[in-house]
Amino acid sequence: MTGNAELVVARPTGPKTPAKGLIARLLLRRGTIVVFCVLFAVACITLLPFYWMFSSSLRTMENMFSLPIQWIPDPVNWMSYVIAWQAQDFTRYFFNSGVVAIAITLGNLLLCSLAGYSLTKFHYRGRGLMFVLILSTMMLPLEVTMVPLFLIIKQLDWANTYQGLIVPFLVDGFGVFLMRQYMLSIPKDLIDSARIDGASELRIFWMIVLPLCKPALVALAVFTFREAWDMYIWPLIIITKDSLRTLPLGISLFMSSYGTSWDQLMAIAVLGTLPMILLFFFLQRAFIQGIAATGLKE
Amino acid sequence: MSSTAYAEHRTVKRRMRLGLASKQALFAYAIILPTLAILAIFRFLPMLEAFYFSLTQYDLVHPPKFIGLANFVDLMGDPLFLKSARVSIAYVVFSVIPVLPLSLGLAVLFNRSLWIKNFLRSAIFMPVVMPAVVMAVVWTFMYQQDGVINTILGWFGIDPIAWLRSSASALWAVILIGIWRATPYYMVIFLAGLQAIPADYYDAAKIDGAGGWASFWHITLPLLKPTTLLVVVMNVIVAMKVFAVPLIMTNGGPADATRVLPLFIYQTAFEFFDMGRAAAMSVFLFVAVMLFSFVQVRMFTRGEELR
Amino acid sequence: MKKSKLGRTLSLAATAATLSLIAGGSGFAADIPAGFPKENVTIEIWWHEYGPFTAYVKELIAAYKTVRPNVTVNPVVTSSGDIAQKVAVGLATGTGPHIVDADASFYELYYNKGVLEPLNLGVFGAKSYDEFLTRYTPGGLAAGTFGGKVYALPYQGNSMSLFINNKAFAAAGLDPVKDAPKTWDDMKALGAKLKKVQGNRTVQKAFDYPYHSPRWEMQMFQPLVEQFGGKLLSDDGKTAYVNSAEAVKALTLWRDVTKVAGDPKTTKNTSSNPNQDFIDGLTAMWTTGPWATAQIRASAVKDDFTVASWPQVDPKKPHTIVYGWAWGVNKAKPEAEKVVAWDFIKFMLDKPSEWLAKAAFVQPVKGVSETAVAKSFPFFDVHMKDVATASWYLRSEFSSEIGQAVGRAIERTIYDGADPKASLDQAQAEVDKVLKK
Repeated sequence: MTGNAELVVARPTGPKTPAKGLIARLLLRRGTIVVFCVLFAVACITLLPFYWMFSSSLRTMENMFSLPIQWIPDPVNWMSYVIAWQAQDFTRYFFNSGVVAIAITLGNLLLCSLAGYSLTKFHYRGRGLMFVLILSTMMLPLEVTMVPLFLIIKQLDWANTYQGLIVPFLVDGFGVFLMRQYMLSIPKDLIDSARIDGASELRIFWMIVLPLCKPALVALAVFTFREAWDMYIWPLIIITKDSLRTLPLGISLFMSSYGTSWDQLMAIAVLGTLPMILLFFFLQRAFIQGIAATGLKE
Repeated sequence: MSSTAYAEHRTVKRRMRLGLASKQALFAYAIILPTLAILAIFRFLPMLEAFYFSLTQYDLVHPPKFIGLANFVDLMGDPLFLKSARVSIAYVVFSVIPVLPLSLGLAVLFNRSLWIKNFLRSAIFMPVVMPAVVMAVVWTFMYQQDGVINTILGWFGIDPIAWLRSSASALWAVILIGIWRATPYYMVIFLAGLQAIPADYYDAAKIDGAGGWASFWHITLPLLKPTTLLVVVMNVIVAMKVFAVPLIMTNGGPADATRVLPLFIYQTAFEFFDMGRAAAMSVFLFVAVMLFSFVQVRMFTRGEELR
Repeated sequence: MKKSKLGRTLSLAATAATLSLIAGGSGFAADIPAGFPKENVTIEIWWHEYGPFTAYVKELIAAYKTVRPNVTVNPVVTSSGDIAQKVAVGLATGTGPHIVDADASFYELYYNKGVLEPLNLGVFGAKSYDEFLTRYTPGGLAAGTFGGKVYALPYQGNSMSLFINNKAFAAAGLDPVKDAPKTWDDMKALGAKLKKVQGNRTVQKAFDYPYHSPRWEMQMFQPLVEQFGGKLLSDDGKTAYVNSAEAVKALTLWRDVTKVAGDPKTTKNTSSNPNQDFIDGLTAMWTTGPWATAQIRASAVKDDFTVASWPQVDPKKPHTIVYGWAWGVNKAKPEAEKVVAWDFIKFMLDKPSEWLAKAAFVQPVKGVSETAVAKSFPFFDVHMKDVATASWYLRSEFSSEIGQAVGRAIERTIYDGADPKASLDQAQAEVDKVLKK
């Protein structure tokens, strides 16, 4: 980490304070109050579904759709959490989703940034074609490639395995695209000067390029983790063992065509969203630091 | 000359011939190789197969039968497909365009010091982390006739809207969710872009007498071009593939108002057992997204790579 | 998971049935069919999740182990919304289970794809398929019989009857038994009395047709067309009559009843909670199956409901619908394992009264009505009366496409105000295109 800090400080452009746009200053004059109110209103909109999910999980079934709507659950029904948790093997499902999501996220962070680096900072034959091919992989929905993909997994004997859930998604065209776009803005001089200092290629990537990509990496991590945590159709198809079921499949078991216990469904939904929220709060600090540490778009 | 010495001599010579540039190229190939390998096996192969399916009659059970372009010809005259394509285009256009000013606007508002800024930013980012299945169920609740949204609208004297229960409003209801979820994510990407713009640019503009709007127009926007490209292309691709939310919320209804292409493809393949047709539809989808991304990348990055 | 009050009410009967299962087990154990393997076998069974149903099948799997110790049954439970897709991919890739569970209307498609194994007569001790059919109610196996052979056995063939909220009727000065609508004209008259609107909000509907899935829409539309003397599909399944005069009458009636009695915009029903409006008291009358009894009793409605026969155009010529799910066997599996699969299906279906007690599913076999469980099941005679006059959900290889086309036509008329004839003409064109394939 300290090494990175030195390198960052040594950049030709020098350290920057976050830019304060003129618009922002203009608004400052008009009054922070207005901006605050706008953002507060937006925050209310973004949080409303979360509040609704949480309050629904605490409502009793009788009060679930009562009129007028019950803003604060009364009585508070905590039992839905207990019953929902015991209804299926959710400990196992959370564990599986965690393993799959973490593995896929780490894979994408590494492979997408390596590929993005290769596509932006080197000149070689076939580079443009490779980029187009990689891009093209994210344009077909899984619904159509699923059957052939499953046949490949079957050949590898990976049905009902973690690797069947993980390996096909270890890298994604979307992530490569994101990393490439971000890396375009990293000055080539920085890399060249490190080469002159005798740093190896891998070291340059690891010690200089990656730290500069922090915001993009965090954006990628959040996005990939969410997609992997959300993964639904693929596990539905390749998993027939209960012990390998992932969380969304567990959640879907609550939605029966005969009738659904909304309180239990919402309780599991709250628990299923928590890891994402925690991850975000954890990453947000890195994210903000990342943004503060860079400042070098040309 | 001993043989080992000779070999050493050759290695040295080759190393010299390889030169710096090709050594770097080797490294570049090496680090992109794992990505290419995984994508080749798990994406290209199934994709090629799907392309082949589009030229066949394939009911998932019997082997595919080659029928040339019949699926495509048939689709062009199929009102259900054309309707679904229109729904998809409407979804993409109306869920992508508002996200741009909204996310950029929010980013600009956040790009300043503000009381409890961190809290607000976290609050506004939250939609990004809600799982899709959960989101679909919660919003279905909220959209009910006597639900929370119509209740809030009622405070402002607005009559209840039928949301998911009307073919006029159902697509808008689904689009709203897309905007709700996408805006915060792209806001953060814009924020990263904004904070990367050196403050001296604005100071220089100020000395030249440029007003706030002028410097936004002439400095901020042009410098945000790469970020904007990223946001637009990512957003279009995500929007084109929207699936879980309409599947769970409306299953495409009422009267097909929300049957986006991926949902129709899914139904055609697994409810109607017509994989050939489903694959042909995806080829249309593929070409549309590919063309769009290509044009976008070209438009935005002209000359950039030469630098 | 879901505590079924119905189950509790019927616990005595259920316990009795379980005891008889254990007692009957020894008879089953001795009765090993020809071709049954002696070595250890594992078979896989897939079914769709529904709390009481899943619990019962798991119980059956455990019980089967005691009579066939060399067989392991591997259960895979999938949510009802997803199982059709899982089965489709399983069939396409040869990874399907031995025993599939599907909505009965899928079986004609599966049969036409050639993926089903016909019922093993030896296992069931039947001389012929004709003889086997006599064990069921007339037409009870219609959804799973093709070319004279039986391919799918329903574990539920439920009526769709009219559930009435007693309190809502009483509040309007009506008696739920005496004043239950016999005809759709009665329904319209009741609509005026029971539907309540406050300002721009409907606070109580008298009755509504379902809109949460094309399948449910079709379930109501098909018997309506039949009540007018029409049908949607020719017997050979090759010609559709979706825009026939009878179908147009049916859709017009649907629209007119909805106008006075319902409000399609105000509904909380979803495909994963089809009875929400009824259990919330938002609608006074609702069409659903006997399986809903437990959910209704557990809700605020409690026991304050009455079940009546589904309304008719002409009560002298009644037409209703029966709907359910069935087991089938995957043809691609080895012979011996297919024998085991049928043997297990036979074992599972052996006690129709248990299915009724534990999951409130009605098996269309003869003699269910006489059991103690049936006698204590609320309004069982009404359910059976509606089963007796019912046809199965549209039988066609293309039932999904046709169902969707009709569902869209209904939605165009109800939501967008389209003329019923024009709306059904469009559906007819869509269906014709599909049938040409």
